Formats: sequence, C-alpha cells, structure tokens
Amino acid sequence: MIQPFTPEPIRYVAEDGTPVQPLPARFTPELLRELHALMIQAREFDRKLITLLRQGRTTFYAQSSGMEATQVGLARSIRVGHDWVWPYYRDHTLGLAMGVPMYELISQCLGTNSDTCRGRQMPHHFAAQAQNFVSISSSIASQVPPAAGNAMAQKYLGVDEITVCTFGDGATSEGDWHSGLNMAGAAQAPALFVCENNQWAISTSIREQTASETIHIKAKAYGMPGYYVDGNDIVAVMEVLTQVAEQIRGGGGPALVECLTYRVGSHSNADADAEKHYRTREEVEEWLGRDPITRVEKLLEHLGHPISAEERAELIARTHREVDEQVLRAEATGQPDWRIVFEDVYADLPDHLRQQEAFLRAEQTGGQA
Amino acid sequence: MTATQDRADQTGAGESAVTETRTINLIQAVTEAIAEEMERDSRVVLFGEDVGARGGVFMATAGLQAQFGKNRVFDTPLSEASIVGAAVGMAVRGLRPIAEIQFADYMGPGFDQIISQAAKIRYRSAGQFTAPMVIRTPSGGGVKGGHHHSQSPESYYTHTPGLKVVMPSTPYDAKGLLKAALRGEDPVIYFEPKRLYRAAKGEVPNHDYVVKLGEAAVRREGTDLSLIGYGGVMPDLERAADALAAEGVSVEVIDLRSLVPWDRDRVLTSVHKTGRAVLVSEAPRISNFMGEVAYVIQEQAFDVLTAPVGQVAGFDTPYPYVQDKVYLPGPNRIVAACVKALTY
Ligand SMILES: Cc1ncc(C[n+]2csc(CCOP(=O)(O)OP(=O)(O)O)c2C)c(N)n1
Repeated sequence: MIQPFTPEPIRYVAEDGTPVQPLPARFTPELLRELHALMIQAREFDRKLITLLRQGRTTFYAQSSGMEATQVGLARSIRVGHDWVWPYYRDHTLGLAMGVPMYELISQCLGTNSDTCRGRQMPHHFAAQAQNFVSISSSIASQVPPAAGNAMAQKYLGVDEITVCTFGDGATSEGDWHSGLNMAGAAQAPALFVCENNQWAISTSIREQTASETIHIKAKAYGMPGYYVDGNDIVAVMEVLTQVAEQIRGGGGPALVECLTYRVGSHSNADADAEKHYRTREEVEEWLGRDPITRVEKLLEHLGHPISAEERAELIARTHREVDEQVLRAEATGQPDWRIVFEDVYADLPDHLRQQEAFLRAEQTGGQA
Repeated sequence: MTATQDRADQTGAGESAVTETRTINLIQAVTEAIAEEMERDSRVVLFGEDVGARGGVFMATAGLQAQFGKNRVFDTPLSEASIVGAAVGMAVRGLRPIAEIQFADYMGPGFDQIISQAAKIRYRSAGQFTAPMVIRTPSGGGVKGGHHHSQSPESYYTHTPGLKVVMPSTPYDAKGLLKAALRGEDPVIYFEPKRLYRAAKGEVPNHDYVVKLGEAAVRREGTDLSLIGYGGVMPDLERAADALAAEGVSVEVIDLRSLVPWDRDRVLTSVHKTGRAVLVSEAPRISNFMGEVAYVIQEQAFDVLTAPVGQVAGFDTPYPYVQDKVYLPGPNRIVAACVKALTY
C-alpha cells in the first residue's frame, strides 16, 4: 500500500528513464506507449492552439505543456463517465485523455455553434456531460466546495462513484479550498483532491504562496491522508492515484494528492513574457530536463522497446492533422447568434427576460419584432 | 462649462485654471497616482496578486516594486479574502493600504471581508476603529473575456453602507479620484473600466491635484436631454451625443464619476434644465445603481419631466463570451433611448 505523507515525492522512474523501484506489472510496454501517445497528443494540441491564438482565431489559451503526466495519469486512474470530475481551467489534457472529443474542446475554444456550451464562457472552459466533466469556472478554487458536495451526494446515494477535484497550487490559498477540504473530511465523502502543483500562480511562486513546505501536508488538518507524487513520472502518478481512488471507493474517506510538476510555458497568452518578468531561464531549463514525455521515451528504451523517430514523427503529424481538421469543421458551423444571450439563464424565460429578448430581436432584425 | 473650467473647478478655488499638462492614458494615470501617493505618504502600501515583479496583469503597477521595494509593493497568496481582510487590519493599525483585486469578478471570495469588515468597522465601533483603504479593481466588459472577466458588480457595493464607490472614465479623473480616495478616511471601492485603460487618453496637470469624491463632471452642456453615465460607457455617451447633435438635438452629458456618494445636485440641476434624462450603465438592469438615480429624479424633478426617465443597461443575463458586443449598450441603443424620450 502507498504511504501518505512521504518527505519526498513518490516516483518509479528516474529522469534518465531507469526505474528506481520495480514497475507494477500492468505497466507493459504497450500501456506505456499508449500513455506516451496521449501525452504527445496533448503537447501538440497545445502547440496548435497557440498557433490559433497567434492567428487571432481564439482569444485565450492556458497551456499544460510539462504537466502531461499529471493530467493523463489522473485520467487513466479513474472510471471515466462513472466517477465525477470538477476540473480547473488548465485541464484540457485531462479532458482529452478522458475521451472528451477534440472537436468539442476546439469548438469551445473557438466559441462556434458546435460548442456544446453555446459560446457562453471564454475559451478553455469546457464542460462534457458524457464524461461527467463538470463545467469549468474561472474563479479560482470555487469548484472545491461543490466537489465536496458532489461526493457527499454520492455517499448519500450509496453509489460506487468517487469525485475528483483538481486545482493548481495557487488555489490552495483560497478560503474555498480550505472550506471544501474541511467539509469533505468532516463528511468522510468520497472525494479525491488533486493538486497540480506546477509551482507558479501566474507570477507568484509556491514559496511566496505559502510558508507550508508542501501542499499535501495540509491534508492532515482536514483529517485525510496526503500523498506526495512526482507529477512528471506518469507511472508514479497513475499508480498512486489508482490506489488512492480505490481506497476512496472502498469507503476510506477523502484524500489529497499533490503532484509536483512544472508549467513550462507561460501562464496564458496574457503572460507570454514570463521569463522576462518573474522566472529564470535556468529554472525552466532545469525542468525541461525532467520532461514527462522524454522520461517515458527513455524508460521504453531502457525496457528494450524504444519508440522510433518515425513513430514519434507520425504521432505528431497525426495530431496536427486532426487539430487542423477539427478547427475547420468547427469554424464551418459559424458563431452562435444573439439568442444565446438569453437561453439557459433560467430553466424557463421569466417575463423580464422575455421583454429584453424581444427588444434585442427587434434591434437585431431591424425592427421586425 | 468648458473642459478647462471644469478642471479648474475640480482643482478647487485658488488653483490656476491654466496649468502645464501632459497627455497620458487611464492606466498610466492609475500608476502615477499610486506612485505619487506612495512618495508623499509612507503609510501607503500596495499589494495583491501579481502586482509586484509582474506589475499586475494589466501592468497598472509596473515598476512600482522596483521603485518602492518589496516592503511596500508585494505579491500576496491567491486569496481575495486575505487581501481585503489584511487591508482592513493594516488600515485599522495605521497604514493606507491599496489592495488590488485582479478582476472585479474575483471580489467574490473577498466579499464578506468587504461588507462585514471594511464597510462596518467604523459604525460598529462608533469610530474607535476605522479602515481607510482603497480596493482597486478592473471591471466591465468589451474585452472578450466572458462572464468571469467582464462583469460590472458595482451595485453590490453601492448597496453596502460604509463603502464609497467610484469609477473614473478619463485619465484626469482616474488620477485625481485615486489620490482623493487615498487621502480620505473611508474604505473606497475604486473600479477601473478596463476597456478604457489604453483607449482613454487625456490631459493631466503636472502639479498635484485631487478630484473630490461625490462630484459629477459635465462633459458637455446641452438643453434638450440629460445623458448620464459613468465608467466604460462614457465614450459611447459622447458618440450618441454627437449623433444627436448632428440631428440638431442638444444633449447634456454627465459623468457621475462617484456612485457613493453621488452628485444629486448636478444631476437635478441638469434635469431641471432639460426636462429629460436617459441613464446608461452596462451592469444588468435589476437593482442597477441607475435605478436609484431614476428614483431621485422622479421624486425631486417630477414636475419638470417631459418624458419618463430612460434607462439603458446590460441585460439580466450573465455576461456572454460570444455576442459580447450585443450585450454592451453601444451608441445606437443609447441614441434609441434618447429618441424615445425626445419623442414621448
Ligand atoms: C478568485 C480568482 N482570483 C484571481 C483569479 C485570476 N487568476 C487566474 S489564474 C491565476 C493563477 C492560478 O494559479 P494556480 O491555482 O497555481 O493554477 P495554475 O494556473 O498555475 O495552473 C489567477 C490569480 C481568478 N481566476 N480567480
């Protein structure tokens, strides 16, 4: 059984690709290749979306390059479409790996008619009902208390589900975060809290964020176990999260898992000059050396199942083609019209909104109310 | 009143009407006001998320940490409750904190600290303890931000006794109001219309000045209708007034600048002159602060009104991402409301 509160992050694979402890049997070369492919897909998705941003075809994007092992590992540790997920805005890789169609993610980023969320939210704020991937809110940590409530409902209903709630390191400073963990702890609800600790909240480093040495030790205060994982080691992430999820499913109460990782790119497009303002090139280089994708490639090499250059190039090319295709498909659906302003505010349209809608219809159709 | 006279009035009796000026934009005005007040008063400290090395997400505080050091300009943990609450504690203990909330949309987590602590400590302690402080925050739409980066939540705060609430629309006012807020004795919520940060350019004097809270500015004089707004919509009011002027309609344009306290006299004088008023804000209509202005106009100027008071506001829906242009009350909608009042 995995131990909570370890002083060092749990890892299975060292940076040079050699296992530091025996790999659990399920991590066959086939599975490792599959995980590798998902991570490559996510990284290239980032690249392509940043291009779209530069072309002005979308207006916001939050990269997860460098964090693929954490998000893909989490996606592969839970029962997709059965468990519930309250994600945060950097989780498109989690969504992709959970099987949210790329077309849906792109449509949301472009705010087209094919956006299942009807263009209400800014780019990169998805919702996917089939995956129980609950709508992302920009407001940091506001998803944490509802996630606790979701888990309480699961306990009340006696269902065999768990609730996953993700957030960055910055989120752990918000009152909502503490309230949510405390509530889940008091209720012994089946909640898995996952901190994607990428060490920066925009320009604020984790050292300025909290005087606490780590995030996972905060779990102690809320009466739940806290686990510390190397978030760039996909084997460690998957192994720990799978075991913790099963423990929670078996009635073990909530848990907090801190995945130590790094946001290699900028916070968002609004912050493209991160290194100029607040962090050093050396730091970024150091973390590039711990890249989660390279680590799996080295591990596969070590296991005698290397990924060939052609194979890698083909994976990358396939993702680029797929993104291009889905972008064209999404753009062809056009933009939602003015009606989206009024739909879904309430279950039905109250009188005052009916009047405002009629006003806007007249305005938009040149007086033909 | 001409612009020059207006400025001279604002600087107070004894100030020369003709001064040396420079043209800057609204965000520079904010930065300058903070820098000058920090220079003038060592009790002024500035903090919030990313305000230090980064200089704020809009760069409103760029260079201030380098100029004043990390003791006076610093990043905080990501917690609006902590930012606002700590500002209250500092103010009670004798500092003059400026707390930046990254977006007005994110005042939510700090709401309890604003309404329970900042707004009420003077009253509940009968003045034994007070919290003179400024909460600065970018607000309003027009930047393709979706609902979490475009809302206009000022009415939540105008509804809370104990808070002063201001929203400039020109660099001159941005600088003068912020300085006045910092020199005052009360907590002030200072909304910065983010779409005007770089779009609004204007002259500011080289000398020190303040714009007193609670005084509206007449942007242009007119006799047929009073067009009243504040913040991000002001350029649209001017455009609407231009369009109406081309049709021979004389519109008086008033910028409230302060919502609490607000300039009833200025507004009522204008309505007495014109007999018609159209009120504009981009916040949702229900419980919109302009509802209070409309109430006072009908109560105090009922006899002179020749048309019902018109209101142009945001829709009672969350602020959408696509179709955000449709949400905002642009010049056409303002003109239409004016025509309705003029042809009543
Ligand atoms: C309540 C609230 N305050 C401020 C913001 C502005 N903001 C957006 S992202 C961010 C940093 C978040 O950092 P972290 O939680 O560590 O997640 P990361 O972006 O690093 O993945 C901030 C301050 C916000 N979205 N919500």
